Amino acid sequence: MVEIKRYSPVSFKASPKRTEIRDNFTVVLEYEGEGQQPFDPSNSKDNYIVDLSHITRFDVQSSNLDDITPFGIKIPQGLCESYLQDSVLINRMNRVQASIFCLPVKKDESSKECQFDFQCSCDSDCKCDPKKSSAYTETTEVGMCMAIFGKNTFSITEKLTSLDFLDPVKKTPFLYQGPMSHIPCQIITLSRDGAKSGIIFTASRGYGKDMTHAIMDAGAEFGLKPAGEDRFKSWAGSL
Amino acid sequence: MSLTITCPVCGKRDGYEFRFGGEDKGPRPEEDSLTPQTWCEYVHLNKSVAGVQKEWWVHKDGCGSWFTIYRNTVMNVEVQESEACR
Amino acid sequence: MVTRITQLPTLRIDPAQKVVFDYKGKDYAGFKGDTIATALYHNGVKIFGRSLKYHRPRGLYSLDGECSNTCMEVDGIPNVRTENTLLKQGMKVKEQNVKGSAENDMMGFIDKLDFMMPAGFYYRTMHKPAVLWPVAMKQIRKAAGIGTISPDFEMPGRFEQIFPSADVVVIGGGPAGMNAALAAADKGLRVVIMESRPWLGGFFDYRTVDYRDSEYKKNKQLYIRAKELASKVESHSGIRVFKHASVVGTYTNNLVTGFQIGGEKDNFTERYIEIRAKSVVVAAGCIERPLLFENNERPGVMQVGCVHRLARTYGIIAGERAVFSVGHDLGLEAAIDLFDLGMKILCVADVREDGQNPYLMIELAKRNILLLKGWVVSEAHGSKRVKGVTMTTLDGTISRDFECDLVAASAGFTPINGHLTLAHAKLRYDSHTNFFVADTMPERTYSAGRMLGLEDSLSIEVSGMLAGLKAALECKKFYDAGICKTSDGVANSQESINQLSSEIDTVTAKLKELPGTARGSKFVNAPVKGRKSFICFDEDTTIKNIKQAVEMGFDVPELIKRFTSAGTGPGQGGIPGHNLPLYVAKYTAAKNSSSGSHPKPTNVRPPLVPTFISTYAGRKHIMMKRTPMDQMQRADGGVFRKIGVWERARYFSNDFSCKKEIENVRNNVGMLDGSTLGKFRIHGPDALKALQRVYVSDMSKVKAGRIKYSAMCNDDGCVIDDGVVIKLGENDYYFTTSTARAGSTIEWIRYHTRFDGWDFYLVNLTDSMGVINLSGPNARKVLQKVISQDNDASIQDVSNEAFPFSGYREFMIKNTIPVKAMRLGFVGELSYELHVPSSYMVSLWNMVKEAGKEFNIQNFGVEAQNVLRMEKCHIILGQESEQRTNLLDLGLGFLWDRTKKDAKTIGAAALRHAENDPTRFRLVGFKMEDNGRAPNDGALIVDDKVRGYVCTARDSFTLNEAVGMALVESHLAEIGTRLAIFEDECKGELIYGKVVPMPFYDPDGRRMKS
Repeated sequence: MVEIKRYSPVSFKASPKRTEIRDNFTVVLEYEGEGQQPFDPSNSKDNYIVDLSHITRFDVQSSNLDDITPFGIKIPQGLCESYLQDSVLINRMNRVQASIFCLPVKKDESSKECQFDFQCSCDSDCKCDPKKSSAYTETTEVGMCMAIFGKNTFSITEKLTSLDFLDPVKKTPFLYQGPMSHIPCQIITLSRDGAKSGIIFTASRGYGKDMTHAIMDAGAEFGLKPAGEDRFKSWAGSL
Repeated sequence: MSLTITCPVCGKRDGYEFRFGGEDKGPRPEEDSLTPQTWCEYVHLNKSVAGVQKEWWVHKDGCGSWFTIYRNTVMNVEVQESEACR
Repeated sequence: MVTRITQLPTLRIDPAQKVVFDYKGKDYAGFKGDTIATALYHNGVKIFGRSLKYHRPRGLYSLDGECSNTCMEVDGIPNVRTENTLLKQGMKVKEQNVKGSAENDMMGFIDKLDFMMPAGFYYRTMHKPAVLWPVAMKQIRKAAGIGTISPDFEMPGRFEQIFPSADVVVIGGGPAGMNAALAAADKGLRVVIMESRPWLGGFFDYRTVDYRDSEYKKNKQLYIRAKELASKVESHSGIRVFKHASVVGTYTNNLVTGFQIGGEKDNFTERYIEIRAKSVVVAAGCIERPLLFENNERPGVMQVGCVHRLARTYGIIAGERAVFSVGHDLGLEAAIDLFDLGMKILCVADVREDGQNPYLMIELAKRNILLLKGWVVSEAHGSKRVKGVTMTTLDGTISRDFECDLVAASAGFTPINGHLTLAHAKLRYDSHTNFFVADTMPERTYSAGRMLGLEDSLSIEVSGMLAGLKAALECKKFYDAGICKTSDGVANSQESINQLSSEIDTVTAKLKELPGTARGSKFVNAPVKGRKSFICFDEDTTIKNIKQAVEMGFDVPELIKRFTSAGTGPGQGGIPGHNLPLYVAKYTAAKNSSSGSHPKPTNVRPPLVPTFISTYAGRKHIMMKRTPMDQMQRADGGVFRKIGVWERARYFSNDFSCKKEIENVRNNVGMLDGSTLGKFRIHGPDALKALQRVYVSDMSKVKAGRIKYSAMCNDDGCVIDDGVVIKLGENDYYFTTSTARAGSTIEWIRYHTRFDGWDFYLVNLTDSMGVINLSGPNARKVLQKVISQDNDASIQDVSNEAFPFSGYREFMIKNTIPVKAMRLGFVGELSYELHVPSSYMVSLWNMVKEAGKEFNIQNFGVEAQNVLRMEKCHIILGQESEQRTNLLDLGLGFLWDRTKKDAKTIGAAALRHAENDPTRFRLVGFKMEDNGRAPNDGALIVDDKVRGYVCTARDSFTLNEAVGMALVESHLAEIGTRLAIFEDECKGELIYGKVVPMPFYDPDGRRMKS
């Protein structure tokens, strides 16, 4: 009998210490030798990379995005702006399109669907529940998804892309749609605040292996190391 | 390499994030009344201006938008910001 | 061995730390901080190599890599600029372009044969008679170039790239550059400063004359001021310093590229730097203009700065008995300083009759140094190194000889303009400074410091400050106009712009009160014929060569540069950049007074400084896509190939004819990873309209539960893509494209609807769905077993009636894995395509594999699929088509719906026109005569002309004969026509085939459809 399992396109050269089966994914909560416990994001000298390819993501498109409220949240108006509320990150991609990331933020929760309890009360023409409305497409499987955080985040990214993450006119969180290591990505800068600096990004799933290699190579001099989802939660929770 | 293009969605970016889509020649002509000659001219004849021309670009490594810019073809610089377009 | 001064405040070496290296097999020692060149000089090496053409001995000349004199082979890497390369423990150094040794080069006799090699001799001789050329070419190629490299050479080291973000880039870390950086950074901007030497300081760094700061009336020496500025710059949080980093390119839109040499603590050997700045300050300073006299490149002749810096920076007194021949005050200053450091100076000749700094005159007199005004060195003596010189007056009437081993020679200064001209600045010759100065500057670019012609140290600093402020203002304006402007970005109100503008006015006024540009020394060359006066050291071009070129009618320096190759060496414009245009202007004016004597500078090109290809390549990661099955297929023995952006399993054994894989699909059942197919969702009110535009068929006829095969054409009616479309709901479709088109499909559809303003939305699902192609007579049995795990009994029926050919079904495996199943037949057998979320694909694959075990299920790869579908005459675009092949040529005209004119379908207009065109190719099937082998793909169909080509042909195991498809002229398309096939290197031996009906395998489709 074949066991049903889901696999992430990303794998690290590190041994998982604690894992959890979620929606058939084996989610690594912590790797061996992650360092500093408990993790204090604002005082860390380390840089981490976390595989988030298992988190649920959606694409939403409509000529009237103002009407669309994913999980009851309004989509940011400004192009390339992002909005983070609890566990939902919404990124305005262009006039008619936005992307939605359901981040694992709350420590105690690891539910199957989007990581919080959302009750849609629409009857027929639903515009808030991605599972009901046809304006949404689930894109969890389209891309790998990773987070890089730590004080040298932007020293790592500047080896991979010419995108200006430190552009003073931008306000976090914000979205970049552009190349990293020559691969088109959606990159959301969540923080530029010293040790708490960090980004989360997606790119085509097929590039998972080579992208991981390129980032780990660029991050080697800064001691970039893989971390489990728990460390991401502590970091994201501190923002 | 030095070309920058202002995407109406993403702002000013390096030229190699974009792909060229030809001179702006207006919408597709109606198929009735179309002769092979006029069709061929619409598809293949270019003005190839030495100077400023209006042309289409797509932000292929970015948001995927098609839009027009005005580019000085002699200096290879964008001379005016893009017209917002889907 | 030259003794070193080890106690100087300006030293950049650490005499306490010895560094041992290998030169020609022997151990030598230098100090930490030495360059290879200074360490060799310290060890008494005066001849570093031999010149390109004449094999003349060459030695240390500039210390900044302005010529190829000191290029050597280091650790197997040829042409390393040893003046710019820091010495490292254990380095292996060799000389270049010598037969024997640099000291005794057996090719040295060539120097005497120069009369046989006038300018451009290789263009003008050796081509008559024609047979001479190949012989001569071999010899010339052998002799040409310096340094050798083996074909299998692999560059050692780690090369990286970095794209720092910055508002202002300052090129040059001298006093002007540092002031510019500080001024801009103090305004809150992000500044990058690039300095080619391993330290900041520029030409203040080694000078001990007093720095007179008029504001504080304090006296301090220049090098102390340099250190003061450097520590301010390096501790400023807004300034990022790249030391030992040369700028190699400057482009429009303020793009600056360069490379940095890694230090001991860096994890890179070199790294490529690319910065898109908002504003650029060029403060690159000056280099010395070489003095033209006979044997002006003999080892022992050096630039003044070189002699001065050897002493002050490296503690090396370059000679026992020195003669100076200069044209500027810095030369006098150097002579005084070197005298004080213990150098014996026989005389100082200054080409200027007057205008010297009186303070320096007094100092010279105090030291009893002989000063000859209006004199110049006319010839250096000594066959391998300088043993003496002849000095003459400028008119050549009086001369005097000196015995010496060092000539410090410098005609004047010339600004380093390359950074400006690359970015399209226009240069003009300024007769006051005798500089080429920028008339029009590139946008948002400012220059500062010595390159403007300033000599006064305070003026230089203030000019830097001014350039920095101007750059800052441009950045502020840019942020103000930024299109992604947010409410609380940088403080960029009109107020701060006004404030900055008034500050700029103040500094401008301050600069006006300070000494302005200095009068530069005029172009002088010694009163000699110039047979051995070298204008370009890299290419061995002499004054005589330039005269020859002018005699032959060349009058533009840019052309003379090509003809004589002056300035085309690694140093680019370094040595000849200034002298060539000036000499040409003077000489052409002398010959013909009507031809204007305005000097026109020659062009420079990137890279401004020689750069390793490895540095440009950087980390060169190969970025390829992998399917969810990648690892498993590798474990199953898959032989992978790069196909487009993907790594795909092409074979599953080392038998590249794939016999077993093919037979297993025909007889049992096989599975193929088809995940690379493009997959898309299109939805929204105008989705159908968009499909009608791009697909040739009538897409309104797509029925639920069925798949529709169709094709996309370009505006010429040529086929660019084929795939299937499935209707998920009203104006909601799922469609596939070929692997190659996956990346550009969205772009294509949006492009061709860009004027319509339609509401439709595309989502690229290519990577999100894995595809298992399950094919073969047993495929249904396998699917039945897999699907029986579904809980819903109603969809377990996969019989031909319930799930017919061209059918579409969705089901859930174990209530968990959603599958989109399509009944297709690309390989000509009963076949299912299962689309499954990528993360689940491995699980489903294993289920299919397990279910298929009893039916002998096996993997098959892309090549087996290629043969299988060819036997069935199903086309692959790009294989059975090229750019000019249209829908009708391929016999796919039945897909085209002519009635939907309103859709303005892409390609329809052209197809209508092409329909009756008899000159088009036709796709035909053929088999080989007399049981012959299959021709190579791409072989030509010929008679007396080329009539077509073979698309795909294979020895078919299924059919037991060689078959294939070809595109041929229509008159050859009749069944039974004999095709003559010409292959590469067939030496006239044609092979023959015959046109036969298509498809070859299962013509009535019973296997595929039942």
